[in-house]
Amino acid sequence: MGAPLELEDPQIVDDEVTDTDRPWVVIVWNDPINLMSYVTFVFQKLFGYSRTKAERLMRDVHEKGRAVVSNGTRTEAERDVNRLHSHGLWATMEHDE
Amino acid sequence: MPVPRSRPFKLNKDGTFTVNLPDGFRELLVSLADQIDEIVAMDVPETRRLFPTAYPNDAERDAGYQIFARDQLVNQRRTAADTVRETYRKQRLTEDEMSQWMAVVNDARLVLGTYLDVSEDDDELLLDDPDLDLRLIYHELGLLLERMVTTMSKGLPEPTDPDD
Repeated sequence: MGAPLELEDPQIVDDEVTDTDRPWVVIVWNDPINLMSYVTFVFQKLFGYSRTKAERLMRDVHEKGRAVVSNGTRTEAERDVNRLHSHGLWATMEHDE
Repeated sequence: MPVPRSRPFKLNKDGTFTVNLPDGFRELLVSLADQIDEIVAMDVPETRRLFPTAYPNDAERDAGYQIFARDQLVNQRRTAADTVRETYRKQRLTEDEMSQWMAVVNDARLVLGTYLDVSEDDDELLLDDPDLDLRLIYHELGLLLERMVTTMSKGLPEPTDPDD
């Protein structure tokens, strides 16, 4: 029984499946400081969204408290989160359940 | 020191930005850049909003993210502060310089707003508030940022995302 090896392997496999098959979503949360116009501008600038789409997402953030603004692999989502953090937005990422 | 009612920023045909701000306001921006530079690498509550959590439900992954992101986010803020110090007297800014000015103004609002513990609906100024000066600066920076956003939005490229 090669128990130790088999215990470690599934974890690695699981992580790979996680990264490729289950997309991650990037969430922006409402905060009382960032201006609505600024948030809209950042969505347009970073994601190439139309003003209409950027404003709709901003409204969701403002009124519902959060909005999913992009999705992708873990690496892509982390890059987007990082760019949002560079612009002072409160962004997190999680698995799309 | 109110934001000028005339247009403080203008987008030129060549993609540069003309800045029409009084000296006092330019010096305020330098002072803010200096203060951000000073506290950005310090572990103080006022900078909390500059370094959000990426994985709120996964401490281990978040620690991994913070290892690379923390230094990078500090360095970006320092670069923006440097740009403001180097260009604050200029009448004409490149798009990159304008973006760095905007970063300093927004970061200053994040730090000030965190310190002042602002909420969505407290826009009332009270004369006996011990932080009245800071609240006025916070308010003026909001107006300035609004003008920057309006002007920079005109320079955004065509949308690349096909969804509406």
